[in-house]
Amino acid sequence: MKEIVVASGKGGVGKTTVASSLAVYLAKNGKRVYTADVDVDAPDLLLALGGGKETLFSMEVQASKKAKVDQEKCVGCWRCVEICPFGAMLKSPSGKAAVATLMCEGCGVCKLVCPADAITVEKAETGRITIERTKYGFECVTGKLKLGEHNSGLLVSHIRNLARRKAQDAGCKAVIVDAAPGIGCPVIASVTGADYVIAVTEPTPAAKRNFERLSRVVKHFQVPAGVVINMAGYSKDFESALRKWAVGELGFQFLGEVPVDREVVKALVQMKPIIDFNPEAEASKALLEIAKRVESEVL
Amino acid sequence: MKELRKKPVETPIIAVTGGKGGTGKSTVAVNLAAGLSARGLKVMLVDVDVDGPSCATLLGVRLEGGEEVKTFVPKIEASKCTGCRRCVEICPEHALVGLQGQVPKLFEELCSGCKACQLVCEPKAIENGWKKIGNIYTHRTNGLGLIVGELRPTEPRSPVMARATVMKALEELKTHKYDVAILDTAPGVHNAVAQPLWVADLALAVTEPTPLGTHDLNFILDLARELGLPAEVVLNKADIPGGLREEALRLARERGVEVVAEIPLDTELLRSYMAGEPLVKVNPASPAGRALGALIQKIESRLKGGEV
Repeated sequence: MKEIVVASGKGGVGKTTVASSLAVYLAKNGKRVYTADVDVDAPDLLLALGGGKETLFSMEVQASKKAKVDQEKCVGCWRCVEICPFGAMLKSPSGKAAVATLMCEGCGVCKLVCPADAITVEKAETGRITIERTKYGFECVTGKLKLGEHNSGLLVSHIRNLARRKAQDAGCKAVIVDAAPGIGCPVIASVTGADYVIAVTEPTPAAKRNFERLSRVVKHFQVPAGVVINMAGYSKDFESALRKWAVGELGFQFLGEVPVDREVVKALVQMKPIIDFNPEAEASKALLEIAKRVESEVL
Repeated sequence: MKELRKKPVETPIIAVTGGKGGTGKSTVAVNLAAGLSARGLKVMLVDVDVDGPSCATLLGVRLEGGEEVKTFVPKIEASKCTGCRRCVEICPEHALVGLQGQVPKLFEELCSGCKACQLVCEPKAIENGWKKIGNIYTHRTNGLGLIVGELRPTEPRSPVMARATVMKALEELKTHKYDVAILDTAPGVHNAVAQPLWVADLALAVTEPTPLGTHDLNFILDLARELGLPAEVVLNKADIPGGLREEALRLARERGVEVVAEIPLDTELLRSYMAGEPLVKVNPASPAGRALGALIQKIESRLKGGEV
């Protein structure tokens, strides 16, 4: 079984479009496949697959901790305010310390410096993991992080572990993981130990720059990787230079280009992967070629 | 939590955010900054999307000579360490590992820099060590200041880097006179997005009329509400063929937030994006240029009326 992670430095370049098309292609070609959405801030993969048809599992995850101030005991010395590395401990209008929970990372240094024993650090809900069956038959694990929560790396690891275990039990050939944009903690937690990373980018200077940043993370964690250039077609020169650079300089395998295609948006609105919505669309043909390449070279 | 938010500086601060990635946050932020600046306002643009900063690229600015951002990591003085394991037990990230009687080993990439280990170490064996987590670049052109926070690739602590970038911006706003600061945030609703929203007076949530755009818009509006932060919506790619414009407008209405701009699809916008020049500067008469121009005017008059 292979775990394939779809990632991108920049957001909105087409991760979910690539991931959903790949999963549906494999499923339609008789390969057992499992999917996981680890973009716990904006989990969109299930939506792109037409939503959940049946909820198979749902659980709350408590991975983070939050500080709490006992207002009776607080003496207003502000030691906690001074030491909090995240700016989460604040002077409240009442003259006591208070926690901006959205920014608290639960490290507990506030508790250590409090002379009045007024601070406790308690477990808090980090997010929720759900398994849904999609209308394509395969399952999708989705995680949703609670607002402003920080321990998304842990939630990502939970989801990946669950997906791998379920996929193994079901005899799946592949787990397709849709990652968050960026290069921080949740992305590192998504790519470490994966079998393959599909980096999606678009032929613009901003996307190129953030693709390069992602490539350094992928290289550092030594994961084999390929690149998909999405929304191609408006600058041939830029695209061919990007392609050469990605292969020659960054060492990525070139998986293919997907042209700009109005059908992609229509498919999104219909909540169907484009290759299912309109197999004749130019973008579908390109995505099918990419899926076949991934199938033959990774799986 | 709302009651804990205090205005950190006098300068009005507008955060451009949006939930989903790739909806046009940086495009709106850069055009808003360039447009207000062209109208004679002193503007500071701050790129707080430390994972994937784009503002400099979109302004055609080359970043040089940034200052390093460092966070604490424990430096254990082996001769003083008694191997008591207090630091190992207290470390919330399990970044210190070691058996009784041994000098603990540090897994640097896990360390959040909280200093709990140093606080509990009785023999004072833990000194301040530092690790570089990113760079902050400051760039000034006539009338438009730019601050960019950039996380070092392979470093996971985006919230810490975002906070350092916000702090740098506040410091700059305290020492220099600006009429407005515009903060461009990362996608999502996590801590690294909460950091810039915490200091803002207004959030502009940029979204697109697709099921994914509206789905994620809900989350960012929830976050703004949690912070007691007024939010307004910018609907980008408003006329995308087959799009859900009506539904996006209805959602905004239901949530009680105003749609302050609708930006149409426009190849001129893409051209300016590729060229690294704000559209409002190179082609203000194009359809998207006009929509952005109207947004700029609206924000300008509100800034002048002290309504942000």
